[in-house]
Amino acid sequence: MAQQADLLPGTLDLLILKAVSLGAQHGYGVLLRIEQITGGALAIEQGALYPALYRLEHQGLLDPEWGTSDNNRRAKFYRITAAGRRRLKAETERWNRTALAMNTALRAEEA
Amino acid sequence: MALLARMRSWWRSVFHRSAMERNMSEELQFHLACRAHDLVERRGLTPDEAMRVARLEFGSIEKYKEEGRASLGLELLDQLHGDVRYALRMLGRNKVFGAAAVITLALGIGANTAIFSLIDAVMLRLLPIDKPEQLVTVLLQEPKGKAGDGFTNALWEAIRDQQDVFSGVFAWSTPKPFELGRGGIVQAVRGLMVSGNYFATLGVAPAAGRLIAEADDRRGCPAVAVLSHSFWQTHFAGAPGALGSSISLNRQIFQVVGVSAPRFFGVEVGKTFDVAIPLCASALFDRRNLDSRFRWWLRIMGRPRLGLTSDQLARRLELLSPSIMSAALPGGDAARRERFLRTIVVATPASRGPSELRRVFGEPLMMLMAMVAFVLLIACANIAGLMLARASTRAKEIAIRNALGASRGRLIRQMLTESIVVSVVGAGLGLLFARWSAALLVRELATARNPIFIDLSLDWRVLGFTAAAAIVTGSVIGLMPAVRSTRMSLIAAIKSSPSAGSERRARLRAGRWIVAGQIALSLVLVIGGGLLLRTFITLLTLDMGFDRSNVLVVIAKAPWFAADIVKMPPEQRSAANDEVVARVRALPGVLSVARAFTTPIGDDNWFTNISVDTPGAPSGDQASVSFNFVTPGYFSTLRTPLVAGRDFDARDTKQSVPVAIVNETLARRFFSDANGIGKRFRKPDRPIPIEIVGIVKDSKYQFVREPIPPTAFLPASQAPRGGEAEEFVVRTSIVSSGLIPEIQRIAAQVNPDLPLEFHTLAEQVDDDLVQERLLGTLAGFFGVLALALAMIGLYGVLSYLVTHRQIEFGIRMALGATRASILRLVMRDVLLVLATGVVVGLAAARVSVTLLQKMLFGLQPDDAATTAISVALLSMMALAAGYLPARRATRVDPMIALRSE
Repeated sequence: MAQQADLLPGTLDLLILKAVSLGAQHGYGVLLRIEQITGGALAIEQGALYPALYRLEHQGLLDPEWGTSDNNRRAKFYRITAAGRRRLKAETERWNRTALAMNTALRAEEA
Repeated sequence: MALLARMRSWWRSVFHRSAMERNMSEELQFHLACRAHDLVERRGLTPDEAMRVARLEFGSIEKYKEEGRASLGLELLDQLHGDVRYALRMLGRNKVFGAAAVITLALGIGANTAIFSLIDAVMLRLLPIDKPEQLVTVLLQEPKGKAGDGFTNALWEAIRDQQDVFSGVFAWSTPKPFELGRGGIVQAVRGLMVSGNYFATLGVAPAAGRLIAEADDRRGCPAVAVLSHSFWQTHFAGAPGALGSSISLNRQIFQVVGVSAPRFFGVEVGKTFDVAIPLCASALFDRRNLDSRFRWWLRIMGRPRLGLTSDQLARRLELLSPSIMSAALPGGDAARRERFLRTIVVATPASRGPSELRRVFGEPLMMLMAMVAFVLLIACANIAGLMLARASTRAKEIAIRNALGASRGRLIRQMLTESIVVSVVGAGLGLLFARWSAALLVRELATARNPIFIDLSLDWRVLGFTAAAAIVTGSVIGLMPAVRSTRMSLIAAIKSSPSAGSERRARLRAGRWIVAGQIALSLVLVIGGGLLLRTFITLLTLDMGFDRSNVLVVIAKAPWFAADIVKMPPEQRSAANDEVVARVRALPGVLSVARAFTTPIGDDNWFTNISVDTPGAPSGDQASVSFNFVTPGYFSTLRTPLVAGRDFDARDTKQSVPVAIVNETLARRFFSDANGIGKRFRKPDRPIPIEIVGIVKDSKYQFVREPIPPTAFLPASQAPRGGEAEEFVVRTSIVSSGLIPEIQRIAAQVNPDLPLEFHTLAEQVDDDLVQERLLGTLAGFFGVLALALAMIGLYGVLSYLVTHRQIEFGIRMALGATRASILRLVMRDVLLVLATGVVVGLAAARVSVTLLQKMLFGLQPDDAATTAISVALLSMMALAAGYLPARRATRVDPMIALRSE
């Protein structure tokens, strides 16, 4: 397996929101999609996903609904809410600013 | 928005906890199954192997579940659960403290709940009927007068037939005592007379059979009756056979057609009924009920048509008024007829129903509520003191928890949980105490002549009040100790030196302020209680103008609304009554007997305006005079002294000159010189002026609290029809109630038809003072209770002070201080606290006792004597409570005190 980076604190929520914003998913689906969109570059402890999902649900950013999965089992699907989209946008901007600043800073050190 | 989502999610998790847990498990299992499936497909593992790997990859399922619960906001709840368990354990370990606190709070919260449940039942609750908020009471508004709620039957019929604003409108008469005859036994039941659409408009359903309907209420109707549910249960054991059976009410046979819904007590809060009959059937008791235009015995309520605004309703009723009023015009002089015709019909919202009880007891109940709330507050302060003392013994425990990482907020929360657990347990017991004591209060309030019914069943308001009281008291008693005890420095606590100086001083300072506050509050309660108690005593010992001991009152007449049931015509009744008087007078133990139309503080009254020739004398409504018809010997029987002139005697007959004996007030007011003998006055219904032949001392007429009205006594021998003197007063030399069987026997021989009712004159007076007795004793009791609690608080704080200053006192004594100087030192503290409390208390009392104004009699709210006595009592008790610990301070042995360090 390719080399994996540890998750920075606070980024899991952002990743989940991003993953769910691409379409409603159950918990395992969210995991797969994060692996997919990150190219498997980030290490996520699978169980840690769930407290994060519940936290987002509790904050009204995700809207859960029980439905049937591809393999015909009852599963809990998460859909992003309007508040969730707003949060995703705000957090994405914040992340970009931070990342930009970090990149600039680190490059300056190298030179 | 986010908050709402949080609340919703929290609500789901808390109240559907098991479903939430199930879902969480299912979701995680689903995850593992999917992962295992993928592992089988992608890496070719066996299913068992795949499951094992999936579990490993997932991590600790239980840990993530726990984190998941925390995410859902359940952490707090789980901690609370633990705190409550811990609190219960602590309570069990410290039994004396626990019991004292729980019992104090049970009584305190219980008393508050009891008074509140009365307020709820009497003042807040809507009528237990269909859509009570739509109901209105119909009233008559005289021009420039107060709105009245009484109607004659003629007015009721005019309103019923002419109105077009109500979808339903009904009349009823306040429940009256009916004579129920069953199998030779006669007993009084509460009879309600209702118009035909009463039950239908209220939307009351029958529990059995049918209720009175429109068709039952027309002139000459058959006599049918409906039983109340509770009467059906108690008197017929709920037997279906009661339907269709016959009962005798006021000596008329009625057929039972149905039973009303359980819990339905009518529309008047404070009253209930046993049987209900249609209005038209009241003609069987007395024809005049329906025909007289002077009997204002009905009340009217209605449900306005849907969509009608209150303005539209008022305008329409005003428009209809002239034709309604002229259809029911009674007689009287021109001015009175004119005023009657200009009266308008009005309607006011009445979702809680009209209530005499509410009118009379509304304010006293609010006052009692304030008193019990104060008592609870004082009790809270004591318990807070105890908690504080206990917290200091737990200083080590708190410090260790703090050292182990519990935050201060977490510690405060845990300690608050402890105090709230105490108060919740107290409130639970208090609820039981409240149920009992509220019922007791209602029983105390009721008299034989004025039974009171209050539906005290629990509702959400009472339960909510108790719950709120529990939480608030819990926080009040717990917050200060919790904040204070967690403020301690770690090191000091763990070293546990008994004299962590600054904290102890701070605690003492706080303790002193609390006690000063308690003293102030209790002074307010003592003064208030004193005023009400003195009001009651003043009324009880008032010279009423007659001697009420050993006088039996025999009421030998049917009530006014059932006057026709006595078959003997009035002309013959007078002779029969004379015979009863003669034979009762001959009984051993009887000193004298007389008859009267009404007896002092009785149920009947008779007012008329008189006119006199004296220039400048009152006239019109200013000249209203109370009347009574009495036989010779009435004044000597009641021991009302004759001031001048003569008593009535055999000379005064229908043919002789009309004469009167008047009281001093009448003589003074109408004839300025106190002696009115030989003067005359006119009564509108008599052609010949009435000559005054005697003057008697003033005596109370119908109510103890009202000023004595000008009163004229006319001889029974000259009374017109309707003024028959059919109440006997019997003065005895023995316990007067012992004569009842003898009198019953004599009356039955003379006229078996006569309804008889007995009570003593003292009972009549006592019944009129029920409210004052109850308020006086309760307020006095709460005052004493508050005082006792404040003294316990003072004693507690001083004891603590003395114990903790032992070393100081020891040193002082070793250095030569005398016992007296130590005593002075401690007593100076007591005086300081007492003075602060008294000053604040007096200021607070000045403001609050003015609210009592209306409830007082014979004294003003700022009554100096009451205030002085209260302050003296309080000071004496405070000095005593302070002296005990102070004396202990002087007994400190210097050596022992010094060694203990």
